[in-house]
Amino acid sequence: MTARQLLHLYPRAWRERYGEEFVETIGARPLNAQQAIDIVGGAIDAWITFKSATTRLRTPGGGEVMTQQWKAICATSGVRYTKRDALISAGVMIAASFLLVAAGIYARRTGRLELGEALVSVSFPIALTVALPFAILKGQPKTAQVASVVFSTLILIIATWIATKI
Amino acid sequence: MKRIIDSLDDLGRFSEPALLIMISLADGPKHGYAMTQDIEQVSGQKLGPGTLYGAIARLEEREWIEALPAEDRRRPYKLTGAGTKVLKARLESLRAMARIGNARLAEL
Repeated sequence: MTARQLLHLYPRAWRERYGEEFVETIGARPLNAQQAIDIVGGAIDAWITFKSATTRLRTPGGGEVMTQQWKAICATSGVRYTKRDALISAGVMIAASFLLVAAGIYARRTGRLELGEALVSVSFPIALTVALPFAILKGQPKTAQVASVVFSTLILIIATWIATKI
Repeated sequence: MKRIIDSLDDLGRFSEPALLIMISLADGPKHGYAMTQDIEQVSGQKLGPGTLYGAIARLEEREWIEALPAEDRRRPYKLTGAGTKVLKARLESLRAMARIGNARLAEL
């Protein structure tokens, strides 16, 4: 395995910035295990922390981080993430949270304690998922948006259902 | 001065590789391969490519080093004015720690 092959593990912006010199530093010779592990670790780190010059954010303070990241992701994927989108996604998220919590409270009061507990537990993650089409999924095909929301929601429901049975 | 030292500490596990890179660049610009050779010679540590470029990206983001025009496919880096200040502060801090440590050892 060579450095050029493992370079594909890194984000595209990172590869564009450092890729050539990174490969040149190691050369075309095969990597030893220690180097390969170091490169894989570096790729994970790059996905988590690397911000290209175009998406580098100057004000990552407090609660603005998530909105700023959404803006950055949408900006690099060619979709304009506007203040209106931010308000819509926040509104959808809050409304969905309230609805699910209300359903959970109703279930508890009608004696379905496990269902009530599960609904309250998943209220925020599901609400967040439902709001994704107005945030990082904006501009993606409708089928992709629906599939992402439905698939993620199903996973959350199944995981919660299993948790209530354990 | 305290704030500058804390900033280098903010690099977490990349703090030491970043310090070694800055020391390597203190005598002039170098590209990645030359840095690893120099660091190995100076400290005995061989930085892996993932660690090296993880630290370079962090140093560049903080504007403590800057990239020069590429030579072939190799891009040299040089220490900036801000980077020099950070390096001096860190070396002074290490010198003070070494002085205290040696003094305490001498008391044994």
